[in-house]
Formats: sequence, structure tokens, C-alpha cells
Amino acid sequence: MSNPVLENIRTRRVVREMTDEQVSEEHLEIILEAGRWSPTGSNHLPNRFLVVQDPELIELIRRVSPGIYSNAPTYLFVCVDRRNFPTYIDEQADDPVFLMDVGQAAQTMALAAHSLGLASGPVTSFNVPALRKILNLPERFTPWMVLCLGYPQPNPQFVMKPGKRRYWQDLVYRERFVPWREFEAD
Amino acid sequence: MDDEKKFLTEDQVVELMSLFFSCSLLLLREPALYGPLRQLTAAERLAAMVIDDVSPEVRTLLEVALERIPVSHTVTTRRDQYKAIVVELNEALGDCLAARAGLTEGAVA
Repeated sequence: MSNPVLENIRTRRVVREMTDEQVSEEHLEIILEAGRWSPTGSNHLPNRFLVVQDPELIELIRRVSPGIYSNAPTYLFVCVDRRNFPTYIDEQADDPVFLMDVGQAAQTMALAAHSLGLASGPVTSFNVPALRKILNLPERFTPWMVLCLGYPQPNPQFVMKPGKRRYWQDLVYRERFVPWREFEAD
Repeated sequence: MDDEKKFLTEDQVVELMSLFFSCSLLLLREPALYGPLRQLTAAERLAAMVIDDVSPEVRTLLEVALERIPVSHTVTTRRDQYKAIVVELNEALGDCLAARAGLTEGAVA
């Protein structure tokens, strides 16, 4: 069965090595529009997106982001604006539902990027206190993930060797948890 | 020992401080294995900054670092490969230290 959505999901990869070509405004807007359509818990819409393409800012961000190994020309921060939280959500709580909103938006935009021929790689290892100063972020506005965006390098230098292949059957339980399956899957 | 002082530029000092401080913050929540990777990243950055200003013995060490450290970043889930790379780096370090101290006579490898 040919299904372009499923094919897009299946073929997307995390990409670290990109060309110098900047992401076009047209592509960027399509990706951001896709992010806007991602669902959020209770429809509170806490996601905000911060796009950085200025080479000087990119360099400063890279310096305080040990998790960024890519040379992406565009950084797309997925942020949460606490103004949109209802009073019962605590950013420091053990069950931060808004992180799921961040993850869903990032994956939606990663898939949109892939559908346009762009590469993306998510990173969460960045220095938030330093980024607040560099990017002029108010306390209520927190970046939780950055999607590094660009066009994929045709001949990447470093390629992750594929790990143990897992099939959906390895990950799925039906109706009730079965202890012996854990050993089989892992 | 070469007593001649070699300095980083102010910008390079800030870049390394940025990395060290950022890593010290992130290590509070990151997986333990990221610690050595972050250290190697700092070593790689430093190597790239000074490689043109060092003696041939040190240059050899830095060349190994620049070649092998990026590969180590791809093996966070493969402890044996990661270990092989850091052993190689430390052998190169031993070679460098021995060469700088003039201890090359009778070397086994």
C-alpha cells in the first residue's frame, strides 16, 4: 500500500550533517504552520517557536549547547510560554504534560521538514540560563527543545551504525502486560 | 619541557568556558555516559584551537584527538567501541608524554 504519510514517517532520520544552504522562508513557514497544527493538552496551546538564523547568534547558541553537533543553519526552538498554563500545571512537577506538547510539535515539524527534503535533528542539551541572556527570553518563556534544520549533506562523514532492529511486535502488548515478553524484546 | 607560553585568544577562552560551564549544568540531568563525551568535546575544541602552534610531538597527539574524538560521539551506546577509542587516545597521550620527556629509547611500539 502506497501511503505518503506513512512513508514519510518511516524514512525520517535524525540528521547532524547539513549543507551551508539556508532554509528558505517558504519552507520555514510551511514547517512552522505544521507545528501550529500539533495538538496540545487540553488545547492550552503553550507552544511558542523561536527561529534563529543569524550566524552570530547561531555561534553563540552552539557554544552553550553541548548537545548540538550539527552545522545546521537554522535553529528552531520549541518553547513553552507559562502564561498559557492553567493554574494547576506546575513546570517543576513530576508530570509535566506540556513536555508532551513540545515533543508532539517537534515531531510534527520534523516530519514536515522531511516531506520538503529538509533534514532535522532534535537537541535538548543546551544551557537555558545562558540562552535566556543570549536570546532575551523572559522567565515565563522556556526553550525545551531545539530542532536543528537544514538540507542534508549528501555524503555524511559519520553515520550511526543501525542498532538491533525492533519490530512493532517487539514493543506491543495486547490487553495485559506479559512479563516473559520483556526478556524476549530486550 | 618547552617553557614558552602559548596563549589562547580571548574569544577561544570564552568558547571553552562556555562549554565547560554548560556541561557542568547539563550533567545534572544527562545520562552518566555523556560526561566523558562532553570532556572529549572540550578536548577536541582545544586541540583545534592550538594545533598550529604546538611542537611536532604534541601535534601528533592533537591529530589523533581531532580524528578519533568525533567518531567517539557516535558510539554512546557501544561501550566496547567507545573504550577502544579512549584507549587509543590515551596511548597517543602516553606516546606524547614519553616523546616530550625523551623516553623513546627502547620503546616497544
